[in-house]
Amino acid sequence: MNGSPQKITTTQAVVIIVNYMLGAGILTLPRTTSKAVGTPDVWISIILSGLIIAGVGIVLVTLCRRFPGKTVFQFTREITGSWIAYILGFAMIMYFMVIAAFEIRVMAEVTGMYLLERTPTWAIIMVFMWIGIYMISGGLGVIVRVFEIILPITIIIFVIEILLSNQLFEIGNLRPVLGEGLMPVFKGLKPSLLSYTGYEVMLIMTAYMKNPKKSNMAMSWGIFITTAIYLITVVMVVGSLSLDGIKTRTWPTLDLVRSFEIQGLIFERFESLLLVIWIMQIFSTTAITHYCASVGIRDLFRSKKIKGIMYGLLPFIYVTAMMPKTVDDTFKLGDMLGNVSVILFAILPLVLLLLSLIRKKGGKHA
Amino acid sequence: MSFSTQKSGNYCDQTGTQYLGIPAASHAEKCRGGNMWSTILSYVPKGPIWIQAFLVFIIPIGITMTTRWINAAIKRGSFSRSKQPTISSKDISPAAKGQGQGTETGHYANIKLTENYNTNLISVKESFGKNADVHIREFTIRGTNTRAAVIYTEGLVDQDLVDDHLITPLMLEGVPLLKQEGFLHPDNAHLLSAYLKDQLLPVSLVEETKSLQELSVGVLFGKNALLVDGLPGALLIGGHKIKSRGVNEPVSEGLIRGPRIGFTEQLSDNTGILRRYGSDQSLFIQKYEVGSRIKKDLAIAYIQDIADPKLVTEVCKRIEEMDMDSMLESGYVEQLIEDSTLSPFQQVLNTERPDRVIGALLEGRVAILLDGTPFVLVVPVTFSMLLQSPEDYYERWIPGTFLRMLRFVAAMLALLAPALYISFISFHPGLIPTKLVLTIIETRTGVPFPSIIEVLIMEISIEILREAGIRLPKPIAPAMGIVGGLIIGQAAVQAGIISQFLVIVVAVTAISSFTIPVYSAGLTLRILRFAAMFSAAILGLYGVVMFFLLVCTHLARLSSFGVPYVAPAVPYHMNDWKDFVIRAPLNMMRMRPDMNKPIDKDRKE
Repeated sequence: MNGSPQKITTTQAVVIIVNYMLGAGILTLPRTTSKAVGTPDVWISIILSGLIIAGVGIVLVTLCRRFPGKTVFQFTREITGSWIAYILGFAMIMYFMVIAAFEIRVMAEVTGMYLLERTPTWAIIMVFMWIGIYMISGGLGVIVRVFEIILPITIIIFVIEILLSNQLFEIGNLRPVLGEGLMPVFKGLKPSLLSYTGYEVMLIMTAYMKNPKKSNMAMSWGIFITTAIYLITVVMVVGSLSLDGIKTRTWPTLDLVRSFEIQGLIFERFESLLLVIWIMQIFSTTAITHYCASVGIRDLFRSKKIKGIMYGLLPFIYVTAMMPKTVDDTFKLGDMLGNVSVILFAILPLVLLLLSLIRKKGGKHA
Repeated sequence: MSFSTQKSGNYCDQTGTQYLGIPAASHAEKCRGGNMWSTILSYVPKGPIWIQAFLVFIIPIGITMTTRWINAAIKRGSFSRSKQPTISSKDISPAAKGQGQGTETGHYANIKLTENYNTNLISVKESFGKNADVHIREFTIRGTNTRAAVIYTEGLVDQDLVDDHLITPLMLEGVPLLKQEGFLHPDNAHLLSAYLKDQLLPVSLVEETKSLQELSVGVLFGKNALLVDGLPGALLIGGHKIKSRGVNEPVSEGLIRGPRIGFTEQLSDNTGILRRYGSDQSLFIQKYEVGSRIKKDLAIAYIQDIADPKLVTEVCKRIEEMDMDSMLESGYVEQLIEDSTLSPFQQVLNTERPDRVIGALLEGRVAILLDGTPFVLVVPVTFSMLLQSPEDYYERWIPGTFLRMLRFVAAMLALLAPALYISFISFHPGLIPTKLVLTIIETRTGVPFPSIIEVLIMEISIEILREAGIRLPKPIAPAMGIVGGLIIGQAAVQAGIISQFLVIVVAVTAISSFTIPVYSAGLTLRILRFAAMFSAAILGLYGVVMFFLLVCTHLARLSSFGVPYVAPAVPYHMNDWKDFVIRAPLNMMRMRPDMNKPIDKDRKE
């Protein structure tokens, strides 16, 4: 009975953005930002970058709304002409694929370290990718429904866990505020901005929204929720483990949850629950990027068979995920992705928007 | 926690000398140039990874192809691709073979009844009259000396009706003297028929027929046939009367508070119950005849100004498409109209409770009633409905909500408890509290099996016990429960093949699965529990998470008659959440569930 293409509501768009943004970053965010900032003002960086990203996001959806019903892969052609559009589209597709691979690899590393020490990585990854393909081959409607199941579970468990760590929390660890002026805050902007990658999904999702006028609402809400979660995380982790404690740990958020015990509850230790929801989040990020890459290929090359493309991408993502030799390599890949993301999805949309305004391409606001 | 990081310098050494074969003297210089290429080369994955990549690609494709093939085979009805010509009853009927004309099918198709009483009687006797339970009573209509015969099937007709309302008026009263003259002439035979119907047969259901086929069907299904000399064709009188049981409390769905009334095996009783309890003039009941050989009545009930017309058309369409020689139970209908045959989840709800059906109709759903079974089907169904009981609405909202939440927790336990036990014991004892681990390990000392085998032993024996308990005669069942549950459990622990802690886990799981109000849904969870156990045994907690995601994805992909199976949980229908995990106060539930797209959205005037 569902023959028509799926449209998503504004709430669903928010869910997609949040699910995409919350990914591998949340376990490492306190470390990367603390290292860069060097003072306890990490949380200010997070808020600031949240605001910046909101601005970038609004530019991005403004661009999308000029071309109602078209994804970025379709309308770039109208703005820049075919050749540049192919190059840009191809870059974006590569980006989405590599993100998927990166998230999978990080998931496999953490799972291999904390949950399944002796299980080979390929077994962990394969099961993960197969369930992912089962989900995304159902189309956007299925993806968004699964996301809507995963997100509340994640947020509730995550917030409860982080707040439970209040017994370790010392406000002293967060002082002094702006002790060394504003410079450290700006230094921390880069790593915290990188953790916000994910808003770019709206380049594609705006086309599928029932009510594209509300896409900037969706964007703001998505970024707001993510910022709130990041903020709680960073404040609690820095407050509990102190700056020096964080720098030496690979996954500080996980270590925070490991480091406290609450007597009298069934679970005295909560890292298993955190890992569970975190794996789900990685699953959603991987799936949506895989989907975006498939949509990209479909739209760029005007193909019809999106399912075939999805299956076809599987081995490429797998090989990319297996490329980094160590965890450090993986993190380097992550940083690289962050840099690419700034160019592709922060600067480029602005340029495209200006170009489309100058060349008078695209309609008024949809 | 330590990761070996390879220094790029080392790397350069190895690759520089080995792969490029550069002399040691110029090594330092060339290293920079060769560095980039060798680094890139070193990142190209090795052989096994390509094989794995191929596997990643080919296995889901294989699975998709297989399911597609199986689905197609199910639709086709056989695994062989060639279309075998099947022989159905329609093909061997005389009409289809071209014998006679017309559209009737069946054994006596297109044989017409005549005005001649004797011919008619012979053709009846030669055809279905041979049946041992078909009786023919011949007599003369008083006053006209006209020969007549009543034909009926014993056990299907009301004997009193035959005696008091057919034979008595015709034999004792007959045609009065004044009118006898008129009927004696053969041309006036049609007048006799009219007179009989108007004056002599005090019965509400009378119809005329001229075909032997209709006559035989009518008689064999419980009508009385009347043949009168000179009358063209025959009269079919009265309806069948089968002994039916009373409306007892439904066995499969118990309630403490609520009507003690259940559907019966008779369709007319069931539609009657619906009319009486849902006395709304817009309750619409539409009848179908299903089954290609053994015909049965099937009724679709819905409330006209609530149910989505598209849904009703879809239901009608699927019912018309059914093709099966007979529908023994509504389970047949359910399996023939469901969306996905390969899914472990039921996509049609079956219930014996009229109140549940009325409730569903008021939410804009459609009910399907089949003659011969007390189980009524309701479509579309969503996952949340399987965990709801009518009693949730009869008790006040606070206990109602409590019971709902309890059932959700119980369902999760019934699905995942043994899997979690396996994953924590076999893979991550470090993740549960130390004291608890010590206790469990203590009870497990001496158990010779890995936890998966241990759990399987217990779970399978519990399943066997449950099955045995259902099949056994009622008086023996409790005794078996005692033997199975208490003695075997206790003995197994003492023998040291399972741990006491596991007995608790298995018992909690079994009891949790009893709380699910819909029996079929309980079956689904029981099956999936085994899948969860195996995934936990292979991949530990990670396997359980993957299993959960798989089930979520499957539920998200599933839909029942166009309504997503996971509604109203997702997509977020804030209004429908009032009747999901929380059962809001009745006054607050003024809107009908949005997911069924009802025409009349408001429950109040």
